[in-house]
Amino acid sequence: MRSRQGVVRGRPLSLQIDGRVIEAYEGETLAAAMLAVDARVFRRDTQDRPRGLFCNMGVCSECLVDVTQAGQPTRRLRACVTDVQADMVVSTTRAET
Amino acid sequence: MNVREDYDLIVVGGGPAGQAACLALQDRLARVAVIDEQSRPGGQILRQPPRAFTVSNWQAGGTYRKLKAQLRAFETLSGVDWLGGRSVLDVRAEGDGWRVLVSDGAQVASLRTRRVLIAAGCYDMTTPLPGWTLPGVMSAGAVQAFVKSQRLTPGRRIALAGSHPLQLLVAEQIIEAGGEVPALAFAQSLQSALVQAARRPMTVLAHAPQLLKVLLGGLRLTASGCRIRFGDRPVEVVGEEQVQALRLASGAQIDCDAVALCFGFLPQSDLVRGMGLNVLQGRFGGWTAVHDPWMRSSRPGVYVAGETTGVKGAEAAGAEGALAGLAIALDEGLITSVEAERRARGPRRRRGRAIRFAELLDAIADPSVFLSQAQPADTILCRCEDVTQGAVDAAVATVETPNAVKLSTRCGMGPCQGRNCEHLLLQRMNSVEKAPQGFRARFPARPVRIGDLTA
Amino acid sequence: MRSVDVLVIGGGLVGCATACRLAGAGASVELIEASYLNAGASGANAGSLHFQIERRFLENGDALADQAAQILSLNRLAIDEWRGLEAELGDSLHVHMRGGLMVAQTPQELALLEAKVARETAGGLPSRLIDGEEARAIAPVLSPSIVAASYLESEGHADPKALTLAFAAEAERQGARLSLGARAVAARRVHDGYEITVETGRTRSSIRASKVLIAAGAWSGRMGELFNLHLPIFPVALLMNVTERAPPLIDQLIQHVGRRLSMKQAYAGNILIGGGWPSRMRLDASGRFDPGQQADLIETSLRGNLAVAVDVAPQVAQLNLIRSWTAVTAVTADQLPLVGEVPQAPGVYVAAGGSAFTLGPTFARLLARQILDEPEDRLRLFSPARFSHLNSFMGMAGA
Repeated sequence: MRSRQGVVRGRPLSLQIDGRVIEAYEGETLAAAMLAVDARVFRRDTQDRPRGLFCNMGVCSECLVDVTQAGQPTRRLRACVTDVQADMVVSTTRAET
Repeated sequence: MNVREDYDLIVVGGGPAGQAACLALQDRLARVAVIDEQSRPGGQILRQPPRAFTVSNWQAGGTYRKLKAQLRAFETLSGVDWLGGRSVLDVRAEGDGWRVLVSDGAQVASLRTRRVLIAAGCYDMTTPLPGWTLPGVMSAGAVQAFVKSQRLTPGRRIALAGSHPLQLLVAEQIIEAGGEVPALAFAQSLQSALVQAARRPMTVLAHAPQLLKVLLGGLRLTASGCRIRFGDRPVEVVGEEQVQALRLASGAQIDCDAVALCFGFLPQSDLVRGMGLNVLQGRFGGWTAVHDPWMRSSRPGVYVAGETTGVKGAEAAGAEGALAGLAIALDEGLITSVEAERRARGPRRRRGRAIRFAELLDAIADPSVFLSQAQPADTILCRCEDVTQGAVDAAVATVETPNAVKLSTRCGMGPCQGRNCEHLLLQRMNSVEKAPQGFRARFPARPVRIGDLTA
Repeated sequence: MRSVDVLVIGGGLVGCATACRLAGAGASVELIEASYLNAGASGANAGSLHFQIERRFLENGDALADQAAQILSLNRLAIDEWRGLEAELGDSLHVHMRGGLMVAQTPQELALLEAKVARETAGGLPSRLIDGEEARAIAPVLSPSIVAASYLESEGHADPKALTLAFAAEAERQGARLSLGARAVAARRVHDGYEITVETGRTRSSIRASKVLIAAGAWSGRMGELFNLHLPIFPVALLMNVTERAPPLIDQLIQHVGRRLSMKQAYAGNILIGGGWPSRMRLDASGRFDPGQQADLIETSLRGNLAVAVDVAPQVAQLNLIRSWTAVTAVTADQLPLVGEVPQAPGVYVAAGGSAFTLGPTFARLLARQILDEPEDRLRLFSPARFSHLNSFMGMAGA
């Protein structure tokens, strides 16, 4: 839930999470942008259970997602230490074997 | 942004310790870089909002005033290359210096430096319980970082459970940002916390203002409708696709959409151990770097400061950073030992004071009452590899070392390299009186795209 | 003092598997392990089941390649051995024999492949040479730069973390005694065998054994010294890399005929990348190589190994590396494993020196027959007798 008190965010921009277009703001981390729209499942584990972000400081790697930006190959990035960019395409649905 | 290939000093971590070291050096060392995973300096204690945000009254309040002043001073230093948004993958001895591999999420850079200061901070100690892998369960530090830097509450109703008084502060910050805190549960009784405090009357007196603030915070929370419970530990997080409720030992079931766990912290030790610095094992697992009175580590040219040497808060971290900065100036021949000694007096005093307070806090925040509870065998202990408590206990019963448990169960083999499970395993092994050495630290300290390494 | 028929020194794959076979045949067996089971190369290797002639035998001239071709009959035995292991020891071994490709990218490498496949065909191994297109049809992950490959359907991989433990458990079920944290510190000849002094923590004890098997991996040379023997086994530190779990991408074992690479996707989904890139061993207090310490990663090895992997399978570039590990294994003076009785020390057997994951279970089965005095000459090629000259002035006189 974005707080509205005492904050002016950056420029609005849009990106895609699992095919859904969401709005975010310049300066936000990908993790924040996802949680702000209740996209809380960052991956599924070996038993297909939903898993979420845990540490939000780059330590646990629970928030690794597939991120594609125009003209670049897909990267597996930690959403908590990755800033949103306009037109990012993010996927959380990569199968775990 | 400047990135050189050769540095006199690389500081890992832009929190209070790293900042203080640079300030103590006063731009007298020509080539200094500070590397941090966050894009702006501050550390976890002052996770700054992004440059694109304007936040009024950010982290207002006396607790943060001095730290903010130090941060502003650090940001005005002209001779420091700020390498934010970068992860250190590896620090490796090379010739008479060190080779530092750094990733910015797109490229890997290889930097050389003559000296290194590891001031990498700490992270929340994980504490497994049934349901703790559901989306919406996170560390208290995670919640705090969202509130501080992103102005976001990662849920509408966030229940807090733990043993660390920090959760009072986190609760206040959630409410200030517009979230609800339906419950705040301390695993220990109020009485046991007070007994711990009463055992250290001088420390209590010396830190009366801080303690009073905590109490007032608690009163404000209660007034705002948040019920603070004592002697009530979390036993299960309930939900299907995400958190729906937190169940406590008392039987209370708190409806919520997020849970923050707050049982204490562990030093970031992957680089320290990978570099082969001498470390000591903490009481709950975790590793603290050994140092001399000048924050020199066991290897020449390497200094350690802040939570890297044991978690004791921002005040002590700043003092240790200042000492490390003076030691580097001294070892570089930039100042005399007389000047170093004179300038070290203040930091040493502050450090001593802060450590006494940290000891008090550790005693009050003791997570043992939670950790000593056996969790059901199917509780996940290693989050990366989905290894359960039961599987680990079965292995611990038959083998002697953490590495053998790792080999036979996969516990610690995932992307976090054991940061979230090694201490749990060490706790299990201590409880059966084996003498564990911990996992071997391996490259890379953070996951890195193979194509970035071969580019 | 305890007495056993056979004392096995070393709790790795070969030690545990041989103890299992010996105990299964009714011998009384004790196994001593200085550290913990599977602590050395047996647990730290990347689990390749490679039955084609190894690249390392091809890069050192024809004589060695000819010799290596003689391993093929053993490789054929090993293929059968592996096909039966899960039925015997349980399916937790993750034996995955879905084919192996040794790839070539240049005309020179293609020529090497051709010669190799000719040797293999002569030796009765059903490998076949295929072109790049067919290789990509079998393994779509392969790069367009692959011009040819030799393909063997029975190759693959298994879980090295599980195999040794499964043999150890079976050995115990068959009555073998496993002593962990127990280090052999002295040995002397007695009239009916050997007396070994064993240190366990601060206590010392003695074991009498009619026969002794040294299966101590990189420490085998040092163990040989206890018996006044030169065993030409040298520790080597290698590098291995593992990615995070990925969707199914590689079904086969992939090797390279001209460059150092072995690559596979293990059962959990992680891709393992190795192939013999060196790490730097640390030295002990006296300045000698210390196989017990964690070897240091060499950055050029890391980048070199990953570069070959990406060159052969470009999609691997997209994956995150989560861990690189170093581990110490062993090679012999002539690269061939050293397996059998040492002529100058009757009753002392050795089994060490490379390829021991793929061939370990087979070594164990055949060696157990030798130790039990059953007729068995299929290990002749690996006999320590070929290094007899080193031990001309060594050994232990009978009591």
